[in-house]
Amino acid sequence: MATDRTANVTWNGDLMSGSGRIDTVTSGAFGSLDVDWKARSEDGQTKTSPEELIAAAHAACFSMALSNGLGQAGHAPEELKSSATVTFQPGEGITKIALQVTGKVPGMSDDDFRQAAETAKENCPVSKALASVPEISLDARLQS
Amino acid sequence: MPRVQRSADVTWEGNVARGSGAITGATGAFAGLPYSLASRIEKTDGKTSPEELLAGAHAACFAMSLAGELAGAGSPVEHLDVHATVTLDQVEDGSHRIVASELLARARVKEMDAETFQRLATTASQGCPFSKLIEASGTVTVNATLEGDTDGD
Repeated sequence: MATDRTANVTWNGDLMSGSGRIDTVTSGAFGSLDVDWKARSEDGQTKTSPEELIAAAHAACFSMALSNGLGQAGHAPEELKSSATVTFQPGEGITKIALQVTGKVPGMSDDDFRQAAETAKENCPVSKALASVPEISLDARLQS
Repeated sequence: MPRVQRSADVTWEGNVARGSGAITGATGAFAGLPYSLASRIEKTDGKTSPEELLAGAHAACFAMSLAGELAGAGSPVEHLDVHATVTLDQVEDGSHRIVASELLARARVKEMDAETFQRLATTASQGCPFSKLIEASGTVTVNATLEGDTDGD
């Protein structure tokens, strides 16, 4: 069964001096997030951006896929801490995504965990949607 | 222009069916957003999902891209509404895929004819990095209208 998720954005003005807002989303989980070009293209910002939302989507999707793979291998995780860092080159696009995960998974070897993480990276739906990003890296380790 | 990096952190506990996670953006604009398998593929129950975050990313990306195109054409947008709907579906091999992202845009722009606007809307989607990416997995459609335009002509 197909699942739809919608977001609504309002924008006023031109690109460089205008501003926008992610007003509402299907779930209501977040809303009224301001966006603008400065916040998207410069460091040290407190506003979100498309690239931060993509990072959030990718880290969330990857975590869920990895918990699925670990569970199927009989090692459901106690905890996974993941991050995604999206590198955006204005004028060029998204050039890299770096995934990082630390897992608390009883009874699993480092190699098996890395293998499961690699599989999750390859197969999660957001990874598939982002398959044309030139580089998607992965750093996976078990919490010692 | 220098490259920029944006990060987000996720904590997940438990198996996929009954576990849950929380999502935080490094800018602090959103933090601790809960999500789960159920909120992703069934009722949202007030929780977000990767696809909802992608819908937010796509709508914001397209809005900026279209604002840039319109300004470049000498007609900065006065007001622009963009809705992005991302569809996750089960495909033949049983896995889930992001199969579509549909953009609906409605703009208030002074002195622009519908044909020029359509052309700029198409260019804006092609110029939005996320539109280009998602075409690896699914289709991107753009349905753009000018405020005050009747019958779409």
